[in-house]
Amino acid sequence: MTLAETQALFHHLVTGDADGDAASIDAVFRGSDELPAADRLAIYRDMYTARLLAALRETFPHLARLLGERFGALGEEYLARHPSEHHDVGQVGRRLAAFLHEHPDPERPDLRDLAELEWARNEAFFAPGSEAVGAEALAALPPELAGGARLRLSPSLRVLFLAHDAAGLWRRLQRGEDAAPPSATPTALAVWRRGLEVFHCALALREAMALETALDGGTLEEICEHFAGCPRPAEEAHAALSGWFSEQWVAGVVAGP
Amino acid sequence: MALRRLDLGHGIGLRTRHFARFEAEPSPVDWVEAVSENFMAAGGRPIAVLEKVRRDSPVALHGVSLSIGSTDPLSAAYLADLARLVERIEPALVTDHLCWGSHRGRYVHDLLPLPYTEEALAHVAARVAAVQELLGRQILLENPSTYVGYRDSTLTEWEFLAELCRRADCGILLDVNNVYVSARNLGFDPLDYLDGIPPERVGQFHLAGHSDRGRYLFDSHHAPVPLPVWQLYREALRRFGRVPTLVEWDDCIPPLEDVVAQSRQAAAIEAEELAAASRRAS
Repeated sequence: MTLAETQALFHHLVTGDADGDAASIDAVFRGSDELPAADRLAIYRDMYTARLLAALRETFPHLARLLGERFGALGEEYLARHPSEHHDVGQVGRRLAAFLHEHPDPERPDLRDLAELEWARNEAFFAPGSEAVGAEALAALPPELAGGARLRLSPSLRVLFLAHDAAGLWRRLQRGEDAAPPSATPTALAVWRRGLEVFHCALALREAMALETALDGGTLEEICEHFAGCPRPAEEAHAALSGWFSEQWVAGVVAGP
Repeated sequence: MALRRLDLGHGIGLRTRHFARFEAEPSPVDWVEAVSENFMAAGGRPIAVLEKVRRDSPVALHGVSLSIGSTDPLSAAYLADLARLVERIEPALVTDHLCWGSHRGRYVHDLLPLPYTEEALAHVAARVAAVQELLGRQILLENPSTYVGYRDSTLTEWEFLAELCRRADCGILLDVNNVYVSARNLGFDPLDYLDGIPPERVGQFHLAGHSDRGRYLFDSHHAPVPLPVWQLYREALRRFGRVPTLVEWDDCIPPLEDVVAQSRQAAAIEAEELAAASRRAS
């Protein structure tokens, strides 16, 4: 048996559902009367599942708390479809929110939104740091260049568009309270890190769309277009942008084109 | 080229539970080991803590995902992350494991054993050489704790390691606990293992605790170093002399003082054994 064939077999026995038959295992692996080869391989299989579930629990602590013992079954089902493809075990949960979107829990359709929030917080925690600039960086631009300017935002900043009140659910679980029934409330959230601490807050839909445009590299003019339908668009846009600077989300202002 | 053994003294693993202490106080040990993958992200608290620790003391980067024995191609993404971390931290040592842990791009996040065959030896030696060329430095490979052997193996693990070092010009991170655990699980004499390791290739020791699960020992890193491992550490010191030594504790992690106390105990044992060797020599 070649090295590649040996590893394919070992991998299948560790990650697959089947135990493999004892005779074919004994033909490749060496066991003992006291501890047959199949039992030895089971040690690795148990470790595989335990290690990856522990990683998911660490990334999604509130989801795990909400589901209790059901989290293990969810995790195993998820891992069967989405095994780890990254050298960092902390990345194994990156598709969990999408998985919950494809396989919603009929009783808790808000699980996917909670997972998305926890994953965004995880990403923000490990994102590169940046120095913030104040609103004077924008004010310093010549007026003729302001419309074409772009904002360089904190690498930790994310915008989420969710179907449920995941922030409310997260807050209750954070406080150790029981989860309220799912609340089908379209919600937009900003998630970011300041220093070493991660934050999230709700945004008005219009502001969230403007922020998403900014994250996508849109110009100030394109950002402000999201406020065009407001009664006082200039004031609304100014208030939103001022908030972004005061939250230290802006790391630079880049003049056009 | 030979391995240049560093005089680092005694260290412990850097774990999340102790981050606040390392942030607030000088390092309580001679040096610190960090699991490379836990510090590869560009930002956040882990890398901030590691950079602070690095300002205080030498650091070893200890990987678990190099998957040096896998028949997958070496991961360019992993090596790029590792090279960036090495450049950022400037570690005293870069280490990983003699194992494989990925297959067709899928990671099991475990240290799976290799069959000790000529095919595996040639495969691993070529990959170690490639990694060392990319990083521009030697690496040390650690003997894993093992629960199963292969019928195809034609070499013992110590023979494999010795020949690997000769061919690839790398070093050995000798995990004394792993030698003990594997010896019990696979039925060999741990002293045969130590006798088969080339002393000039040993660049670091690991010490840790394990658990007795009845039919086998499990490498749990959840408890103090047990007496048989301390005894084997003495045997290792008699054969290899003073080697940078690190205590690992990864589960049920106690207060920092308890882990440091284990490191101090290792230092005391080392001093006893080196003094005894000196007396014998004179």
